[in-house]
Amino acid sequence: MHPNMSFEQAPPISVPYRFFLTAPLFGIAAGLLLALTGADALGSRWTGEALALTHLMVAGFMLQAMCGALLQFIPVAAGGNIWRPSLVAGVVHPALIVGVVLLVSGFLAVPGSAFVAGAGLIVAALSGYVAVVGFALFRAPVQSATIVALRVAVLALVVTYGLGFTLAQGLRGSYGVSLIEVTHVHAAWGLGGWSLLLLSGVSYYVVPMFQLTPPYPVWLGRLLPWGLLAVLLVWATQLLRPASEAYSWVLLAGLLLAGTFAAVTLRLQARRRRRVPDVTLTFFRGGMASLLAIVAAGIAVALAPTFAGSQRGALLIGMLALVGLFVSVITGMLYKIVPFLNWLHLQRLGGLTVLPPNMKQMIPERAMVGQMRLHFAALAALLVAVAWPPLTSVAGLLFAASCAWLEWNLLSGVRVYLDFRDRIRAADACHAP
Amino acid sequence: MSSQRVIDGRDMQPPEPLELTLAALDTLPPDGEIVLLLYCQPHPLYQILRRNGYAWTESMQADGTTEIHIRKA
Repeated sequence: MHPNMSFEQAPPISVPYRFFLTAPLFGIAAGLLLALTGADALGSRWTGEALALTHLMVAGFMLQAMCGALLQFIPVAAGGNIWRPSLVAGVVHPALIVGVVLLVSGFLAVPGSAFVAGAGLIVAALSGYVAVVGFALFRAPVQSATIVALRVAVLALVVTYGLGFTLAQGLRGSYGVSLIEVTHVHAAWGLGGWSLLLLSGVSYYVVPMFQLTPPYPVWLGRLLPWGLLAVLLVWATQLLRPASEAYSWVLLAGLLLAGTFAAVTLRLQARRRRRVPDVTLTFFRGGMASLLAIVAAGIAVALAPTFAGSQRGALLIGMLALVGLFVSVITGMLYKIVPFLNWLHLQRLGGLTVLPPNMKQMIPERAMVGQMRLHFAALAALLVAVAWPPLTSVAGLLFAASCAWLEWNLLSGVRVYLDFRDRIRAADACHAP
Repeated sequence: MSSQRVIDGRDMQPPEPLELTLAALDTLPPDGEIVLLLYCQPHPLYQILRRNGYAWTESMQADGTTEIHIRKA
C-alpha cells in the first residue's frame, strides 16, 4: 500500500481551501454555543443544545473538511476524474453552510419549516456531491485499499443523510418513526461508516507518505471496510425488529474493528523511519488514543447495562469521538495538506525558474504546536466537564479559541500562497515579450 | 566522464525529495545524471521533468525502492 501520486487532474486550489477554511468556523460556533448554554447543554445527549452542538461538529466542522479533502484526494491519489470540481464546490459548499445553519437553528428553537428546509438543503447538496464523487470513485483506475474504503464510506454517507432526513421529518411529527432507533443507526453509519472509513482510507495513503511509516498491512485494508459494512448492516436491522441484547455484541464487533485500526496505526507510527517531532504525528496519536478510549468505554457500555443507561457515558464517548478523534486527526491532516498543496500549486505556477518557499515556511511551526496544545487542553476540559458540569463554559471557550487559532493558522498558509503566487505572476509579466 | 548525484529521498517527508531534485537540476552538467531513490512513483516530478526537457528511467528494486535516473533530454 505504498502511495503513488498523480497531479495532472488536481482541482484548482480554491476547491479544497474553501471547505478547509470554513470547517474551523463551525468549531468556533460549537465552542461558543457550549460556553453560552453551559451545563444545560450536557444534561443529556437528547437536548436541543446537545443536538445542535453535535451537528455543528459533524455536519459543520467534519463534513466541510471531509468533503473538501475528498475533492482533492480522489484525483490526486486515485487518478479519479471529478466532473467540474469548481462548479461542484461552488454549489455544494454554500448549500451545506446554509443547510447546517438552518438545521442547527431548528434544534435550538422549535423544529419548524426552516429546520426541514435545512435538512432538505443538506440532502440535496450531498446527493449532488455523492453523484459526482461516487462516479469518480467507481471509475478510478487505481484499485487500492484506499479506494475500497472510500467507496464504502460514500455509501455510508448516503445512508447517514437519508436517515437524517427521515429523523428531521420525524421530529416535526410528519412520520411515525421510532426516533431513538433511527438515531442510533444514523449515528453509527455517520461516525463508524462515513467518518471512520474515510479516515482509514486517507490514512492508508498519507500516514506512510508523510509520517514515513511502513505501509498498512494488506489484511487491514480488506477487513475494515467489509467488516464495518457488515456490522453496520446488522446494526440497522434494529429498525425492523425490537431491540435485544444481541445488539450489544454487534456494537462490540464494530468497536473491536475500530480499535484494530487504531492499534495498527499506533504500531506503524512507532516504527516510523524518521524520528523527528511532528505536529501531525502528535495529532494522529491523540486521535488514535481517543479511539482506543472510545473502544474501552464502548465495551463498558456493551457489557454493563448500568453504564449504557448513563447519559454521562454517552456524552463522554461523543466528546472522545468528535473532538478527541476526528477534530484531532482532521487538524493534523490540514497542517500537512495545506503546506503541501501550497508547495505543489506554486511549483506548478513557477516551474523551474521560481522555486516555491520551503514547506516549513507555509505555516509557522510554533503556531501549529501552540494550537495543538490548546486543542488538547480543550479536549481535557471537555472530558472533565462531562463529569463536572460547572467547567462546561470554560471548556467551550477553550474549544472555540483552539478552532479560532486553527483558522488563523490556515489563513496564514493561504496568505503565503497568495503572496508567492502574485510574485510569480509579477515575474512572468516582467519577462513577457 | 559523466557525474552522478544520488538523492536518497526514502526517509524524507514530501515534498523534500522534490525540492532537492529541483535544486540539483539547476546545477546538473550536460552529461550529468541524478539518481533519486524513493518508496513511491513521484508523478508530480515526472510532469515537471516532462515540461522542462528532461528524460528519466525508473526501475523497482526488490525492497520496494523506486530508482529514478534523470538526465537532460
